[in-house]
Amino acid sequence: MNASTNPDPAKASDRYDWRLRGRAWVLGHDIPHQGGVVPGWIVTGRHMAAAEIIPHLFAETDPGFHTRCRPGDIIVAGRSFGMGPKMNGYIAMQALGLGLVCESMPFLGYRGAIGAGLRVLTDCQGATEECETGDELEVDFDSGMFINHTRGTRREYPPLADSLKEIVALGGNTGWLQQWWARQGDGNAAGGSDRD
Amino acid sequence: MPMTAVEKVLAERSGRSELRAGEVVEPQPDFIMVHDGVVLSAKRELDQLGIDRLAHPERVMIVTDHEVIYPNARSAERGAANRRAAKQWGVGRFYDVGQGGHGHIFPMESGLLLPGMFYFDNDRHSTNAGAIGAFGFRMGSEISRVLATGTNWVMVPKTIRLTLTGRARPGVFGRDIGFVIAKHFREGGSWGVNPDYRVLEFAGDIDPFDLAQRTALCSSPTEVRAYGTFFPPSAAILAHATAVAQRPFTPVYPDENANYEAKLSLDISAIEPQVALPGGVHRAVDVSEVAGTAVDHAFIGSCGSGHYEDLQLAARALAGRRIAPGVRLMVAPGSEASTRRMLDDGLMKVFLEAGAVMLPAGCGSCNDGVIGPVDGGEVSISTFAGNNNGRMGPKDAQLFLGNPATVAASAVAGKIVDARTVMDFVQ
Repeated sequence: MNASTNPDPAKASDRYDWRLRGRAWVLGHDIPHQGGVVPGWIVTGRHMAAAEIIPHLFAETDPGFHTRCRPGDIIVAGRSFGMGPKMNGYIAMQALGLGLVCESMPFLGYRGAIGAGLRVLTDCQGATEECETGDELEVDFDSGMFINHTRGTRREYPPLADSLKEIVALGGNTGWLQQWWARQGDGNAAGGSDRD
Repeated sequence: MPMTAVEKVLAERSGRSELRAGEVVEPQPDFIMVHDGVVLSAKRELDQLGIDRLAHPERVMIVTDHEVIYPNARSAERGAANRRAAKQWGVGRFYDVGQGGHGHIFPMESGLLLPGMFYFDNDRHSTNAGAIGAFGFRMGSEISRVLATGTNWVMVPKTIRLTLTGRARPGVFGRDIGFVIAKHFREGGSWGVNPDYRVLEFAGDIDPFDLAQRTALCSSPTEVRAYGTFFPPSAAILAHATAVAQRPFTPVYPDENANYEAKLSLDISAIEPQVALPGGVHRAVDVSEVAGTAVDHAFIGSCGSGHYEDLQLAARALAGRRIAPGVRLMVAPGSEASTRRMLDDGLMKVFLEAGAVMLPAGCGSCNDGVIGPVDGGEVSISTFAGNNNGRMGPKDAQLFLGNPATVAASAVAGKIVDARTVMDFVQ
């Protein structure tokens, strides 16, 4: 078994701040990634840099969203959020310091969100009924605890899978790779190569 | 513990004696495929991180199939960058322009992808591997981690078993049945099972399906978000694989009493030739419902219908005929080997005399119409993998899908026709 693909899971996710506190932005059901979360040309043009994507996050449904959201805010979406396997929109959300809680999303969308390093919870049944836009939320993505301070209610949702936490904690696929490479020896930052 | 086919293959590649759906593993692949559209972004990402070597370059297969003909300067530049990347990385197999064909077709034809194998791919149509009894998992832009480290995390998908019963009617093919499967699966569809990130394992009366038909059956489930498909290899598939194998292989079969999320069945004897209406493969109707619709454009090829047998089927509808005035028909074989075989056995003559335009082996126009798009408002019938609005360029083009015989017969008629009205089929 090749153990080289394990940067240091426990430490990275132990140090990470899994809790977000901010305002809710509640969305409906069936919002696709391409043509919903971001305009289609962002996807087809393979725009993957956060700075390029941010001005266009939810541009077609909520122009100027990026100027109104604040770090810590949480997008609460309904069923089948972010249809499509690409990660562009999640890169922007992560860079803006947002979290995502949704009732369901296709697995490859969820994978894309994790790959972008986004704090995300899926399969949160009835989440859009638990809050409205502007409510003060607190979500612990490590435990799945969902608190609505405005309403004084709390729910427990399925947390992020343990085995995937390190990827989010390291900032997604690219951050994970950076850490992995730093731990390889042979002229890189740290010793102890076990690449083969 | 009894396991499904995907659980077995991933267990074996992950050093585990047993595995269940939902577990996360890092399987070791037989090879890693990257297509020409993604090499550059992966190279840039790894370069920026200072990662200048791949874990297993000998396992990496780069395939130029999306833009085989460079449609613009940017594409030519990307082609050159891909060649530099292949050289710098020292990749084991580089099938550049004119050398391989469609990455989801020619490896099965030429013995690179064999029963029981597992590989990583950047592209979701790697589900085609199920046709030969293997698995190919889509990684998207996370293929960079696979290139750098040799693997990536995989959550073992749940498996849905679909038992096909009965015999298909003459003139009904894998694509027709695939459209019907997509229709039943689609959310709100009659099966009430969500195929998202599931493996669809075929069972039942499947021996009559050859590799091309199996591939066709694996195509449409992908468009409704299945992550894998699987056909237990028949004796004929094993004979093919053995004849062409470029390395040893061990076929895998699901265990009795494996844990399936759902067990479905479909009587294929009742199915008519289908046409998928514009908007998605699941929008399947009997061809009779749209017969007579005038068409401007037709295309045969793609990962859904790119095998030699698909071309043979289309050629039967074209033999001795010409396509209707005002219609253009493009054909992209799935492999360079097929193109050469077409030349040797007369198929090429049939297509050219019918007025078809031959494209190089690869994805052809199915790559979002980058090569050979249609104009807004035009009507197309093709064997594309999918027909979401805009897949062939403008969003208001009308993109119909059919099996290769339906498409070829429609190109001749200048309108959508039931191929059974112009040619004979035997069961």
